[in-house]
Amino acid sequence: MQASRARLFKEYKEVQREKSADPDIQLVCDDSNIFKWNALIKGPSETPFEGGVFQLAFSVPEQYPLQPPQVRFLTKIFHPNVHFKTGEICLDILKNAWSPAWTLQSVCRAIIALMAHPEPDSPLNCDSGNLLRSGDIRGYQSMARMYTRLAAMPKKG
Amino acid sequence: MHSDSIAANASNIPAASSNAKDFVKKKRVNRSAKLKQCKLDARREQWLSQVKNKSGKEESNGGTIGQPMATAGNRMGRAIEKLEIRPRVEEENDGGSVHHYSDSESPSNSPMSHTGSVLGGNDSGTNSSSSSSSSSGGCCSGSMSEEDEGGEGGCLDDWEAVADALAATDEKQQLHIGSAPVDKNIAHFDSQSDVDILKEKPENGVSVQRAPVNCRAWRPDDAFRPQSLPNLSKQYSFPMNSDRHYGCGGSVWGCKNAASIPKSCPICYEDLDFTDSSFLPCSCGFRLCLFCHKRILEEDGRCPGCRKQYNYDPVEGEATLDGGSLTYRLGRSCSMITRS
Repeated sequence: MQASRARLFKEYKEVQREKSADPDIQLVCDDSNIFKWNALIKGPSETPFEGGVFQLAFSVPEQYPLQPPQVRFLTKIFHPNVHFKTGEICLDILKNAWSPAWTLQSVCRAIIALMAHPEPDSPLNCDSGNLLRSGDIRGYQSMARMYTRLAAMPKKG
Repeated sequence: MHSDSIAANASNIPAASSNAKDFVKKKRVNRSAKLKQCKLDARREQWLSQVKNKSGKEESNGGTIGQPMATAGNRMGRAIEKLEIRPRVEEENDGGSVHHYSDSESPSNSPMSHTGSVLGGNDSGTNSSSSSSSSSGGCCSGSMSEEDEGGEGGCLDDWEAVADALAATDEKQQLHIGSAPVDKNIAHFDSQSDVDILKEKPENGVSVQRAPVNCRAWRPDDAFRPQSLPNLSKQYSFPMNSDRHYGCGGSVWGCKNAASIPKSCPICYEDLDFTDSSFLPCSCGFRLCLFCHKRILEEDGRCPGCRKQYNYDPVEGEATLDGGSLTYRLGRSCSMITRS
């Protein structure tokens, strides 16, 4: 319990120091609870998510470096591996392939990579997965782009 | 009757006030949460507007190929600049992050596409570290490998056998490291005629090598920085680690340079003591402190570096491992420890 707190604190300091290291990720810790984090990530370019900014919510368990953090999208996203309603993410490194050497920052990076490379064979969003699996790349991209515009981009007047 | 009601009122008042207090408290919590969300939203808006500007700019620029390269170069330059400037900035405002904040704005403004910037960032990271080790390390690596060759003079044949067993790329690297400094050495000896060539002992070589280097300090991320040097500050150990994690593409943890014994445990970020840093629990070379190792064994027992199960008897320094590269690396790292 103490170890997770210490580790999170070090990560927090690291995030403060390396704010400019990765301009696509901004990690913010809850002021009152170091086990709750928020992140803003930019949609990777040349994907339907380009131009969008997505908010993630981290919930870190007490056994943290040994147990993975729970992450979900707060911004709606049309992606085969993200539950459309709850924002739950299906990503191996957040489940059985977690390694304690990963950090919250690297999890963000992995999620950006997942956005660019969806895995339609283990879908949480069946509609999205089916579009990709049936080879309708264009359909998937236009749906994903539409939801990016709707949910992750500024409203146009 | 009257007084009764007053009493009742009086007793009601504290309750009411406490209720009001609670209410205020709740409201405050709500407000801080709202404020936080506002901040996040504002930040998001800012990014979004940047993205909008950026896309506009990119369209107007058309397909100039040289531009991203140039910016990447700039980024690299900036990264190096930052490396050099950083210590001062760090000292100036250790606690407050105000300056950092404004600092962080500028790179995100750089007109590059997203993956471009990500890649550029990574590239510049590795580039800067490699360039630092090659530029400042010209002499440094010279002294290091010289020392090694001198120290392990007896088992030079073994060394070459192991090097033969390495993959072709590794071999190239080793040869590069091995041969270039030697040339430099000769040049030095030629120029400094007062040095007796017969006295080519490692210590002598080192001192000759170090003398001209004195004007330049070791970079904290320098691969050849001797372990015996004290930490400049603890802060350095961290970015160094992170550079290593992401700079190497995350393929191998203990990769390439033999001097890469992390200063702090990558799991708990506590400093590694002598026992920890001579402890090698897994053949992949991933190091961690004994404490974290024990905790991992109690849970799922997989190495954080390669995710393979730990075998319960930890690998000793001389154990035969798969591939000659590992034993070679072990040998080197061990010699590092004994020297320091």
